[in-house]
Parts: sequence; C-alpha cells; structure tokens
Amino acid sequence: MINSDTIQYPPLHLRLYSVWYRHMRVYTKNLLSNGFPPFLEPLIFLAGVGLGLGKYITEPMGGVKYIEFLGTGLLVTTAMFTSAFECSFGTFIRLEYEKVYDGMLAAPMTVNNLIVGEMIWAGTKGFFFSFAVLCILSVFKIVALPYGLLAPFVGFLTGVMFASISLLVTSFVKTINHFNFYFTGFISPMFFFSGVVFPIENLPGFIRPAAELVPLTHSVRLVRAICTNHYEPILLADMLYIAVFIILIGFLAIHRLKKRLVN
Amino acid sequence: MAKTVINVGNISKSFGKVRAVCELSFSVEAGSCYGFLGPNGAGKTTVMKMIYGKCTRDKKPAGLMDIFGYDPASNELAIKYLSGVVQQENNLDDELNVAQNLMIYSKFYNMPAKNARGRIGYLLDFFELSDKTKSKIKELSGGMKRRLVIARALLNSPKLLILDEPTTGLDPQVRHLIWEKIRQLQKQHTTVLLTTHYMEEAFQLCDQLLIMHKGRKIMEGRPADLLEKNIEEYVLEILDTELIKPECHDVLQNNIRIEDTPGVMRYYSNDMDALKDFAGTALDSGNYLIRQTNLEDVFLHATGRQLDDKQ
Repeated sequence: MINSDTIQYPPLHLRLYSVWYRHMRVYTKNLLSNGFPPFLEPLIFLAGVGLGLGKYITEPMGGVKYIEFLGTGLLVTTAMFTSAFECSFGTFIRLEYEKVYDGMLAAPMTVNNLIVGEMIWAGTKGFFFSFAVLCILSVFKIVALPYGLLAPFVGFLTGVMFASISLLVTSFVKTINHFNFYFTGFISPMFFFSGVVFPIENLPGFIRPAAELVPLTHSVRLVRAICTNHYEPILLADMLYIAVFIILIGFLAIHRLKKRLVN
Repeated sequence: MAKTVINVGNISKSFGKVRAVCELSFSVEAGSCYGFLGPNGAGKTTVMKMIYGKCTRDKKPAGLMDIFGYDPASNELAIKYLSGVVQQENNLDDELNVAQNLMIYSKFYNMPAKNARGRIGYLLDFFELSDKTKSKIKELSGGMKRRLVIARALLNSPKLLILDEPTTGLDPQVRHLIWEKIRQLQKQHTTVLLTTHYMEEAFQLCDQLLIMHKGRKIMEGRPADLLEKNIEEYVLEILDTELIKPECHDVLQNNIRIEDTPGVMRYYSNDMDALKDFAGTALDSGNYLIRQTNLEDVFLHATGRQLDDKQ
C-alpha cells in the first residue's frame, strides 16, 4: 500500500491547463496559416460593404452607420465560427480518427477535465479571433478604443457557448458528414437572423422570439453595447442567458461525451 | 515473497447483453510481469481499460479492485499517475513531432520542463530513437511509432506499465528490442501487465500467465507450469492426412492422444520414441514433424480451434 501523500497527481487547474496547452501548441505550430486568416476575413467583409453594399444602405441601422453595425457583429460571429468548427469537426477527428483523446485519457486526467479544457481552448480561440477583428475595426476607426477593448471577452464567452453546443452535437454524430446539418441548419441561419446583418427588430413578430432563443443574439447585443459604450438593463438578461447556456449545455455535452469516451 | 500490488476479485463487465469480462479474479506481485493471453475478443483489453479507468466495471457483482492501494472507480487519477499505459492503437499526435509529442505529454503529469527534457532525452536514447527527435510522426515506421508510444508511457517513471498488445504487427527485430527493454524495466522493479496473443511473447516475458477465453479465466500459472500440467511434451503432426494408413489407429498405444482437425492430424505424447514408432507404422512416405509442444498447443487445446463470432 502506497501512502496517498506520495501520489501528487496534478491539481485541477493544472490538468485543465495541460489540455489547453496541448491545443495551443498544435494551433501555434502553423502560426501563419492559422493566425493570418482571422485578420484577413474582416478585411474582406469590410471591403465588400465599403466598396459595394454600403452605397445602397445609406440609412443608419440600429442608430449607427451600416459598416459599424455589421463590423461590431463580426466581433462575435468570428468567435462563433471558429469555436463551432473546433468543437465539431476538430473534436470529432480527435475523438474518432486520430484517437488523440484516448492517448490523453491514459494520462492523469478525467473526461471532465478533457472536455472543460476543450471548452476553455475554444473560448481562447474566440477571444483571439475577436481580437483580430477588433484590430481591423480600430485601424479603420469603425470602433473607438478604449471601449472596444472589452469585445474580445465577449468573443471568449461566445467561444465557450458554441463550444458547449458543438460538443453536444458532436456527442450525437456518427459520421463526420452529419455536421453539414448543424452548420447549414443552425450556425449559418444564426449569422443572418441574430441581429448581425440587420436588427432583429425588423424580423416578423412571430420569428422574433426564436431569435431571442439562440445564443448568438445575446452575444451580439452585448458586444454592440460595449463598442458603443451604451448599456441597457436587458444586457443583464443577456449575461444571465450566456451563463445558464454554458452551464446547462456544457453539462449535457460532458455527460454525453463521457459515455462515448468511457465505456 | 514479493508483495501483491494488484488485487482483483470477481469483476465483470457487460456491454449491453454481451459479457466481455466474467467474474474474473487475479493478483499481481510487485515487479513481476503478468500476462493476459487470449484470442481476439476474449476480454483482455477490457480488463486493461478497467484498471486505468477507461472502462467502468459492472456494479453487480461489484467485485474488488485494488491497484497499488487505489480503486479505479474512486481514484482513477492516482492510478493513472503511477501507471504508464500503452494502448492497442498508436494514438500519437500527428500534428506534433517526436519530441513535442513527449513534451506535451509530460505536461499532463506536470513535470517541470527541465526534468521532462532530461527524461525525454533518456527515453529516446533507451528506445534508439535519438536521431528521430525532430521527425514528424508520419515519417516514422510502425516499429518506431510503437517504441515512441512505449517511451511516452514511461515518461513519469511508472510503477505499473500496462502494455496492450505491444508488439502486434511488428517485425522480429523490433519485437525482440521491445522485449529486451521490457526485461530491463522489470529489473528496475516496474510491474508489467501485458496482453498478447503471441505465445512466444507470453513465454519470453511473463512470470505469470492468465489464459482468457470469452471473458473468463480458463487457466493461470507460470508459463512453464502451464505447459507441463496441461499438455504432453511432444506432438507429431501429419499434414498429408490421406496418406495415413487407417489400420494404424487400431494399434495406437494408450500413451498417445489423437487430435483430428481439418487438414492436420496431431498425436500428443510424453514419449518421443512412441511417436517416432507410430509415424513409421502410419506412413509409408510423406511429411511429418515431431516437435516439443508449446504454449500455442496449450492455448488451442484450452480455447478450441474453431473461431467464434467475436474473432
């Protein structure tokens, strides 16, 4: 019998950190191909609006110029997309094809640690992608600093939200092609109908409640408030939604993936 | 007598209606190599997974698991911390190179970077992989990947090494190298659990052997004892069965046992001369072979020669 004092397996925060560190190392291995597109993408969007679409949209939207309206929305959609890809295709490949998780689970960590680490990593990517958009927006003076500096934190929360829902979806997926339904049926519509491209107030009355149900709407409202430095009480509800969503969906995702990882 | 470090009593594991492991008990002494031998689907891997918490055992019967003083159901982290696990698949991180794979893995144990670098250098040298330090995983041969996975399992200097089919699919050179390394680890008092379906591997490495079939233990003991107690010393094998004179079986001495399988007739006996005499009377011409029996004969005798639906 070994004295339990001698077994010093790493404490919780270091176990989570080690999962996060693994993902960070793999991501930063291809720094140029992974790190450059987040900056390029908002440029393309803004060029499209500035050079073409903007001429037709002369009225202010949501009280601001259209380029500002769309630009601030991009701060969180970029976090949504990166996190959703990471925790669907990325997770599935690590789970089923590369068996990376099996290897990691032979080390001192639990399935919970592994999944929560995954979510924190997706949040970190959300933070970074938001930050990239913020850099572009500030260069073109679309978002005023220093208010905008808080935006990447909303990117983090958005990343964690979409990590939890994507992991939950992944727990049901049997073949990688099933993710097409998730992206076409859930993620893409959210881009258009959550107040990124136009205000949800313009949606027909019967669709509006649906827009309030999906996570992106709440991220968008929060990030716009931050960028315009204009806070309203409804933001408390948005923050509550985000907290409950992460805890509830995250819990379900862990519960379901555990069954898949530990027989 | 060395002390017992693994004590497992009456554990079972069901997947739906299939019972992968059935009321299995065994115990392992410190510093010994304990082998699980069985056909595919016998439940060997499931037992390994139950030890390091990748599989949970059935609640009824709950049985008993004591791995270095810990129960995987309540203390999987402690068991994983003091164990190194080599799973059946080479699940290396393709996106990282050889040294990075080990470096990232050392983080999982919270090894200080300096210690980890020293340990990694030592292990790559130990497994003759030093010149591959910066190689991509895809550039490695199957044997190199396997050695790297074993090196990864040894990062934290485990007290218990779990090897799930460590040499399946490898060439003889690599296999012998891995055996040699496992023996060296044993000399350093590492307890080894090993699954295999190579009889020679079991014979070469294991102090104790448990033969499993359909989730159950069918025999257990020292490899040499298993041979001695369960099968005759020699076997005569005749491949050209149609050339055997039918009347010769009438004069068969009672110290010879016949096993009739499609394509091969086998005659087992402890008396080599009796087998030689019999071969002379049974065949005018044709090939036959008299050899010492081995674990494979014990194994096939015990588990049967027919494939079951899990194989």
